[in-house]
Amino acid sequence: MAVDVTNLFKATVKSVKSRNKLSGENGSGDKSSILGHTRKKGDFETKAKDVVSNITQLRDFLLTHRKEYVNTGSHLSTEASKMSDAERDQIDNDAQSIIRKCQESIGILRLDSSQQPVHPQVKEHRQIVIFLMGEYLKAICKIYSEQKAVRVKRAVDRKNISRLKPETKNSPIKNTDLSSLLKKTKDDGTVEENLSSNAKTPNLSKKVPPPPENQPTFSPDDDISPEEAQMFEEENKALYDEMNSMAHEVRQIEGKVIEIAKLQEIFAEKVLEQEKDIDHIASTAVGTTENIIDANEEIREAIQKKAEFRVYILFFLVMCALSLLFLDWYNG
Amino acid sequence: MELPPFTRKVNPEVPRLGVSTCHFVKMAATLREKQAAALRRMLNFNAPITKASSNEPQWKILVYDRFGQDIISPLLTVKELRDLGVTLHLNLHSDRDTIPDVPVIYFVMPTDDNVQRICRDFENQLYESYYLNFISAISRQKLEDIASASIQYSCVAQVSKIYDQYLNFISLEDDLFTLRHQDRDAISYYALNRGDVKDTEMEAIMDMIVDSLFSVFVTLGVVPIIRSARGNAAEMVAEKLDKKLRENVRDARNSLFTADSAPGQFSFQRPLLVLLDRNLDLATMLHHTWTYQALAHDVLDLKLNRVEIEESTNVQSPAGSPRPMKKKKSYDLNTNDKFWHIQKGSPFPTVAEAVQEELDAYRTQEDKVKSLKAAMGIEGEDDSAISMLSDNTAKLTSAVNSLPELLEKKRLIDMHTNIATALLEQVKTRKLDIYFECEEKLMSKSVQDKSLMELIADPEAGTPNDKVRLFTIALICGPHMSEAEIDQYCVALTEAGCDISPVQYVRRWKAYAKMTAAPSQYGGGGISSTGMFANLVSKGSQFVMEGVKNLVVKRHNLPATRIVDALMELKSYQDVEDYRYFDPKLLRADSSSVPRNKSPFQEAFVFVVGGGNYIEYQNLVDYAKSKSLTSPKKIWYGCSDLVNASLFLKQLGHLGKEI
Repeated sequence: MAVDVTNLFKATVKSVKSRNKLSGENGSGDKSSILGHTRKKGDFETKAKDVVSNITQLRDFLLTHRKEYVNTGSHLSTEASKMSDAERDQIDNDAQSIIRKCQESIGILRLDSSQQPVHPQVKEHRQIVIFLMGEYLKAICKIYSEQKAVRVKRAVDRKNISRLKPETKNSPIKNTDLSSLLKKTKDDGTVEENLSSNAKTPNLSKKVPPPPENQPTFSPDDDISPEEAQMFEEENKALYDEMNSMAHEVRQIEGKVIEIAKLQEIFAEKVLEQEKDIDHIASTAVGTTENIIDANEEIREAIQKKAEFRVYILFFLVMCALSLLFLDWYNG
Repeated sequence: MELPPFTRKVNPEVPRLGVSTCHFVKMAATLREKQAAALRRMLNFNAPITKASSNEPQWKILVYDRFGQDIISPLLTVKELRDLGVTLHLNLHSDRDTIPDVPVIYFVMPTDDNVQRICRDFENQLYESYYLNFISAISRQKLEDIASASIQYSCVAQVSKIYDQYLNFISLEDDLFTLRHQDRDAISYYALNRGDVKDTEMEAIMDMIVDSLFSVFVTLGVVPIIRSARGNAAEMVAEKLDKKLRENVRDARNSLFTADSAPGQFSFQRPLLVLLDRNLDLATMLHHTWTYQALAHDVLDLKLNRVEIEESTNVQSPAGSPRPMKKKKSYDLNTNDKFWHIQKGSPFPTVAEAVQEELDAYRTQEDKVKSLKAAMGIEGEDDSAISMLSDNTAKLTSAVNSLPELLEKKRLIDMHTNIATALLEQVKTRKLDIYFECEEKLMSKSVQDKSLMELIADPEAGTPNDKVRLFTIALICGPHMSEAEIDQYCVALTEAGCDISPVQYVRRWKAYAKMTAAPSQYGGGGISSTGMFANLVSKGSQFVMEGVKNLVVKRHNLPATRIVDALMELKSYQDVEDYRYFDPKLLRADSSSVPRNKSPFQEAFVFVVGGGNYIEYQNLVDYAKSKSLTSPKKIWYGCSDLVNASLFLKQLGHLGKEI
């Protein structure tokens, strides 16, 4: 329940100004404030703001086209989707290039700011600004990759369901399409270092739609006797089942491979994080061994000096004893 | 827009479905949440926070003074500040460099020093635009000072916004707030009860307290009904607060208590504000305690939800003897930590068991993850078993995703283990359990099995402070002792190395106040000690609590709780009968003490002037919980500052020396 006293402040400013004018002080100060004080914006600030505005534009772009991109119509809808695949691919490519550019500019800013000699507070401020920008970029990338994953999933689902057509002819084509799409998702993963919706893709392979029955077609040309026809039919069925199971297994493996790739990325991230620590520990260990070597030297010297000191003490004691004897003898 | 009081109360003839639905009091957000929300809004340049999934980051610098720091630190962590876009947070009076092109948000008290420092900042042109937020309302004079400084250094356009935040209090928990931490001596018990306190100083202290209480109610947006005892500091505070609230409510243009401050916030019943003075009950302040949070406050000095522990790790030196190295570690204890939230009011042995349970649960989860790793190692060579692989990869994914949670859990368990171990050490060395038992028996007037003299003369048990505390409690609520006996005890105490000036002060206090009624107010309690702890040791717990008694505390009501109970339920006890009654919403400031409200209150704020502690807070929480079955109650506890027993004893010592 905060109270805005800005207006009160402005009124106070006016009254103080008029009071000053009446008492005739600070005439020059007034003039400069009337004209307004345009402050030059620093380099860092303008560049940072540029990058942020770029990222915001990307975000708006992604969000506006999101609905058409995802196309939440049914799988079997025959109506033309509002966006063709080519357009979708173009959106993906554009988004990726923008993301790469933003990352580069953030990297350049980081280098620049670390080289410039400025106050420590300013330096810290700039580091945190860059960090915040990186986080913002990551959040936007997450949106992008989510969209992409949804698209891939829908493509795979569509392929699954559209297997009502005979499988053997079309399966190699479909699989290559599918694998190219999946490859592209993997590429995006390496660019963004961030993949979400892991849970969605495992479901791809879990879905095993029952293979539709193929109608046996009788070629009108050949004269096929009923026994031969039956044999052919059985052979067909066997081949079909074999192909089916192989395709099914392949799909499962693909799903697993994607999962493993994602996991591997997570692990790689963690390892990279630990790398810095390990380097630090290694250098500290080297320093420690050197310190210990020096310490050993010192201890050796100390032992030696102690030994010498003992000799002197012994000598002194012996001299004292002798002098005592001498004095005793001297005194009779 | 003010209705006369009678039409606003609930009609008792209307049949109610259930007690909980009979009134829509929706203080939905607790005081703490409201304060945190206000801070977040302030950090968003005083614009309301939108719920967009990803907002463009706007970076800013936060400058605070000591009071601002105390207010912000329990509510927002550094990480949360970062997420809100705060790059640097600096103290107002530190050396700050020019950081161009960045807006700065000030969160300071409107004192002369701070205003001067702000004007100096204007002069040095440190930042690009200035957002000034004052913790309590700024006076006209100081506003003019800032205005003239901004004109002089020609940065009027850069002063973007000035706000009065009315956040002049520190909320530590959802229902616990205090007024000061870093400047607590100004409003401590000592400052209020000093022999040589001047009227102007008293007025200043009262104003500070009233200002803070005012901010509490502005933040909540309600006008309470005030009741306080007669003839002490609390009464003065009540009168001033009543006046301030009344002026503000009258002022229709600037009223801060517009009828519906938040949509959906109906309240047919206004809360009750009970103002108590510390002189009501000194024994609770010195009491040894047995619940987790109160123990942490007493023994480890819990400050603003933070504890510092000295941990000694043993370092093997080449000579062979382990050299203990002491390291200071600080831990944050706040309501996000579920274990703390549940266990903070439980007695210490329960806490030890609970930590053990959590540790076991964590170990089983860890083992599950490890077994998964082993399973993966085996399955990796067998690539024909694809179906097994699929299960494992799914399990692995879920395990990896749950790793951060596991790590966080481990950290919390470690923290609580360390804190509990530190507490246990202190309890064992100082024999705090014996003191606790003794004091409980004194306060409940049951027979003692160990005489007071023995404990005081025993050099093993406890620090001198503990002994003085025990004796003071005996003085206040034990059986009546003659002057000769008291002197005898004083001699024994001095031999044990204690400072007996608090005792002198308490003697005089007892004589002045009509303390005949007080001892009876502690009644109804008692403890049952169940001997040495067999069940705990048998559980194989790492907390070896042999030699420490397992004290099961029976619920009893401290004086403060009894008074609150009486006022809320409109019972009539003798000492509550003549409490003063203030209602700031009444048209006329009539000083008649006739309470107009006939129905029991559901919400109450208890505020103690002169210091409070966690024991009272816990007692009130327990009381509210016990009543929640019959009639749900919500009780907030506030005090001018949270003092633990040693600090309070020091203050009593100062007062004693001045006699």
